[in-house]
Amino acid sequence: MRLLLVEDNRELADWLARTLRQAQYTIDVVHDGEDAEHALAFGEHALVILDLSLPRLGGLEVLKGLRARGDRVPVIVLTANASLEGRVRGLDAGADDYLAKPFEIEELEARIRAQLRRANNRAEPVVACGDLVLDTNTRLFRLAGEPLVLTPREHAVLEQIILKAGHTVSKAMLSAAIYDFETDADPSAIEIYVHRLRKKLEGGNVRIVTLRGLGYLLKAEE
Amino acid sequence: MSRRARPAARPDRSEGFFRRLFRSRSLRLQLLAWVVLPLAGLAAVNLWTSRDSAFATADLVTDQMLLGSARAIAEQVSMIDGVLDATVPPAAIELFDTGDRDSVYYRVETADGRLLTGYPDLPLPDRAGGSDAAYRGQALRLRSYSHPIVGAGAASPIVVTVGVTTAGHDAMARRLWFTAFAQQFALVLIAGLFVLIGLHRGLAPLLKLRDAVRSRGRTQLEPISIPGVQSEIRPLIDALNAYMERVRAQMAVQRRFVANAAHQLRTPLALLSTQAAYARREAGADARGEALLALQESTQRLARLAEQLLTLSRAEPGSRRPRADRVDLAEAARDVLANLAPVAVGRGVDLGLEADAPAIVSGDGTMLTEMIVNLVDNALLYGRTGGSVTVAVSATRSEAVLVVSDDGPGIAPDEREHVFERFYRAAGTAEGGSGLGLAIVREVAENAGGSVRLADGPAGGGLVVEIRLPLARD
Repeated sequence: MRLLLVEDNRELADWLARTLRQAQYTIDVVHDGEDAEHALAFGEHALVILDLSLPRLGGLEVLKGLRARGDRVPVIVLTANASLEGRVRGLDAGADDYLAKPFEIEELEARIRAQLRRANNRAEPVVACGDLVLDTNTRLFRLAGEPLVLTPREHAVLEQIILKAGHTVSKAMLSAAIYDFETDADPSAIEIYVHRLRKKLEGGNVRIVTLRGLGYLLKAEE
Repeated sequence: MSRRARPAARPDRSEGFFRRLFRSRSLRLQLLAWVVLPLAGLAAVNLWTSRDSAFATADLVTDQMLLGSARAIAEQVSMIDGVLDATVPPAAIELFDTGDRDSVYYRVETADGRLLTGYPDLPLPDRAGGSDAAYRGQALRLRSYSHPIVGAGAASPIVVTVGVTTAGHDAMARRLWFTAFAQQFALVLIAGLFVLIGLHRGLAPLLKLRDAVRSRGRTQLEPISIPGVQSEIRPLIDALNAYMERVRAQMAVQRRFVANAAHQLRTPLALLSTQAAYARREAGADARGEALLALQESTQRLARLAEQLLTLSRAEPGSRRPRADRVDLAEAARDVLANLAPVAVGRGVDLGLEADAPAIVSGDGTMLTEMIVNLVDNALLYGRTGGSVTVAVSATRSEAVLVVSDDGPGIAPDEREHVFERFYRAAGTAEGGSGLGLAIVREVAENAGGSVRLADGPAGGGLVVEIRLPLARD
């Protein structure tokens, strides 16, 4: 799951990104409004964490621009201005949620999960396909009741595929979801991750089906 | 400090009653005294003159009666068979029967000195008209009247002298005077009453003002408006409102500062929380140690921010008792540099002091030291890693000059005014600054009567901060 973090305090941005990476998210970090606009233009992020007081271009302007373009990516606004007026302005500008600094990382993560759930039109935190179960709260996979041990990249790929269960997921979509801007995207590596995942899924009754030219599809065996 | 001999508020016992009255703290008493006492004085003078006029009137009336009486007697004197006959008519005596038990004396004489009737020893008035005299131990009012008698020869004219004791005269004078007295007294009384009523009405807006000020909540500082107030009190209310406006503006500044400060603390706190969360979840000892170290550094920076906020609030005019310590800037700079040397070494910065002679200024020693700390801190933080920072202290004839220069990126000219604003941070500056350092520097320098100027370094790069403070007078 790839998130965009827009925060002008470099240290806070750095440590937030580290902490969220710990939780298996792929994070892109930018420090000002203009960079945020550029990053958002790709439309590759599942969610945006946006600080409002940004140099060059304010967070509210970034948010308004985003919504004006019709982009419905979930946005959690993060700001030091905890006043009612500030919250109302943020939400009115198109934010989906609002978190005032200082905050506990657990709360931020819970709000990220909630927004992602909503974005995927799910009420339940648990996603299942056959034997394979993803608890989106703990972000742990279980196969036939047993925890599935995955590397971060494998996790990211499988997460994308299971969240889109029933639909094909293109290589490009996978690539956008697992690589941040700093990493050179390597589409052929996707095939390796999928190959490894297939091996790890052998004990269960789900398969990753390759549809040539289209992408991948998760399928439970009858 | 010597104590004042006596608080001015307590009236001296040796002061007279009137002095105390005129200096009274009560506006009512004062005004009453100023109106009624002079009025009473005027009334007293008036009474004194009206006493004279009452007596003059009584004299006049008595003299007219005496003349009437003397005429009545004289007209009864006639020649009967060549002999002068004087019969005193009772009406001439009864004229004086006014209920005051006055005694009436008369004496009728011919021109050649023969007594026709009456009291031979009754004195004659010493002038025309009426005059006072004493007779048989009594005070008398006397008047003579001479009347020609046809055919009396050398005996004509006859002289009739009538005297009356003064009981009726005095009673009349007293009555006249008492009426005047009663009128004057009523006048003073009514004047006093009107003064009191006028004061009551006049002071009402002032009392309303007092109540309006007194009944206000602690933080209620809206302008006071009292309808129907006199033009004399209007300036007082205007001054009060202007004062409250100033207090309100000051409070607004404070509120903004506190809000801003709270706001500025939020991001570092979020950072602390995040670093702690990271360390808690990290299993690897190295990564965990790194996070904890970063957490410690963040905590120190937060402590420094809190310290700067405190310094800034202390530097505000009016928050600390003004001090006039004699501070040697060269000495203070040397101490500060000694304390910050480890930081400079840590950043590989060549930190130097150029101070040959003392430069003694007058001001708050703690704040001046804090000012130098912030200047050097800034130079170390924003200057070039591995660069150099120089602190130079010198003195002109009237000013001490403290110059802190670094060879870092400097501050763009269009940002130079903004960097003195609280929490302002120049674009693209390094992490860790609070945006308070230069705000503190300016506040302290200006409190000490000096100024701050920013300039480019000598080679064009870097930043030079120049503080000029007036030298202390010996």
